[in-house]
Amino acid sequence: MKAIKKFFRYDNIGLLFALPAFLYMLIFVGYPIASNLVLSFQNVTVKNLVNGEKLFVGLQNYIELLQDSVFKRSFINTLVFTVACLVFQFLIGFALAVFFNKKFRIAKPVRGLLMMPWMIPITVTALIFKFIFATDVGILNYFLKSMSLIKENIEWLTTPSTAMVALVCANVWIGIPFNMILISTGLTTIPQELYESAQVDGVTKVQSFWRITIPMLRPTIESVLILGFIYTFKVYDLVYVMTGGGPVNTTHMLSTYSYKLSFEMFKYSKGSAVANILLVVLLIVGSFYLKITMKGEEN
Amino acid sequence: MGEGKPLSKKKNILFCVISIVLLVILLFPLFWILVTSLKTEQEIFQNPPTLFPHILNLASYAAQIETGDFNMFRSFANSLVISTGATLIAVVLAVPASYAIAKYHFKGRNAMLLGFLVTQMLPVSVLLTPMFIMMKNLGLYNTWGAAILADATIGIPFSVLILKNYFSSIPKELEEAAYIDGCNRFTAFLRILIPIAKPGVVVCAIFSFLYAWGDLAYGMTFIIDQKKRPMTAGIFNFMGQYGTKWSYLTAFAVVSIIPVALIFIFMQKYIVSGMTSGAVKG
Repeated sequence: MKAIKKFFRYDNIGLLFALPAFLYMLIFVGYPIASNLVLSFQNVTVKNLVNGEKLFVGLQNYIELLQDSVFKRSFINTLVFTVACLVFQFLIGFALAVFFNKKFRIAKPVRGLLMMPWMIPITVTALIFKFIFATDVGILNYFLKSMSLIKENIEWLTTPSTAMVALVCANVWIGIPFNMILISTGLTTIPQELYESAQVDGVTKVQSFWRITIPMLRPTIESVLILGFIYTFKVYDLVYVMTGGGPVNTTHMLSTYSYKLSFEMFKYSKGSAVANILLVVLLIVGSFYLKITMKGEEN
Repeated sequence: MGEGKPLSKKKNILFCVISIVLLVILLFPLFWILVTSLKTEQEIFQNPPTLFPHILNLASYAAQIETGDFNMFRSFANSLVISTGATLIAVVLAVPASYAIAKYHFKGRNAMLLGFLVTQMLPVSVLLTPMFIMMKNLGLYNTWGAAILADATIGIPFSVLILKNYFSSIPKELEEAAYIDGCNRFTAFLRILIPIAKPGVVVCAIFSFLYAWGDLAYGMTFIIDQKKRPMTAGIFNFMGQYGTKWSYLTAFAVVSIIPVALIFIFMQKYIVSGMTSGAVKG
């Protein structure tokens, strides 16, 4: 009893405050991660999911995935989708951040309103873009036609390559506010004197952008891109609702393919294996972010 | 970036005009579903499309109350219960945990912090099947409880990481003064620190709510009964069944945005602060 009291006298009393949240996460997140790993080495289907014998099959699920063309396609799709989204949402977000950093009268309220796309449920965003990209009733086809850019309506969501374009557009729309607001915050931390003394030295605006703004923003840019990668690479709802991985499995991402294997084909173990591969990629990229964050933590 | 320098009057007007144009372009999708939800099905398919409804049609909203299986106001209520439950769990657990991480260097603190950071990165696919089995074993499958417990796991790590910063910024002297006045660590936490960190608590509550409100995967996988499902799952189902009934679909979408819009209108400053202090959507 005395030992326990002594243990909690100083800093360790913090454990009592932190433990409930930690235990909750251990039960509802930690345990599932471990359990998902085990699952991927077994042969669990709908028959033996809750009860019944589960056989260990070693790496069989992973080996089968390597020969699975849909898996390969999903992996490539996820990469292409992520890179395309990152490029556009970062560039547009950056441009908007610089623009709204100017001190004009309505800058702040308008920038605030631009947050909206980021907040609405992704299912709804998917629905909105499905409507905009619809073949006959979609406003996009009407617009392109009236500008004489196309003659016939494009079947955006039922053609593999254009379906990808539609998915990227929708996701960039969600990602722009996030990029914009983080870069805006980064911009405000750059001391104004730097620009002023550069101006005195006869440095042009373009030069000071490349020599002051970009280098000073580097930490912000790094974390925006890493976080952007993580949150784009695990995209799920948007693709599941907009295309469901179709037409004929051509727009599956790792997350939607994993879901399809587990909850539509009831190959739970194989679905788990796909999810684990997705997790490994995220952890590799995420480790850079963790390194930056934990380093800041120790100081 | 020209910051701090006042703009000339001409430039000021020019920038205001440009910003309005940007706003119109970027928020057009939201405007478009709102007007579509107010049109008749016939007018939606009209060519050329109309920018505003010629005949104001509220039937798409009214119809949802009657049609049994896809009553959007019932799924709205379901979402409300699920999101509120998840928010309560997240806030109640995250507030003390973030305080501990901010103020005490206890054993395992850094490991715990790392744990919260990592859980923010997890894809939902990794957790779905094991959670599905777990909810079945707990007897929670096909109940609100399953979605509440699962949704709270998104809010907790986010809230801990945000609130940690709020608690660290509170000077130690304040706490020490409370001890002199006879508070112990628990009463000081409850009476002095939580009230000071209140804005942070509000940010956490808002984001935990929004995460839960936007969730599709958990609500759809753990609840199969349409009558208990949240709105997002309702919309998804509806799309599968009435894929081209855009008047109904857009009405459904507009209703599900209402709480988000309300939060947005009344609590905008909290949202920006939440996003800039490391908020990331899962």
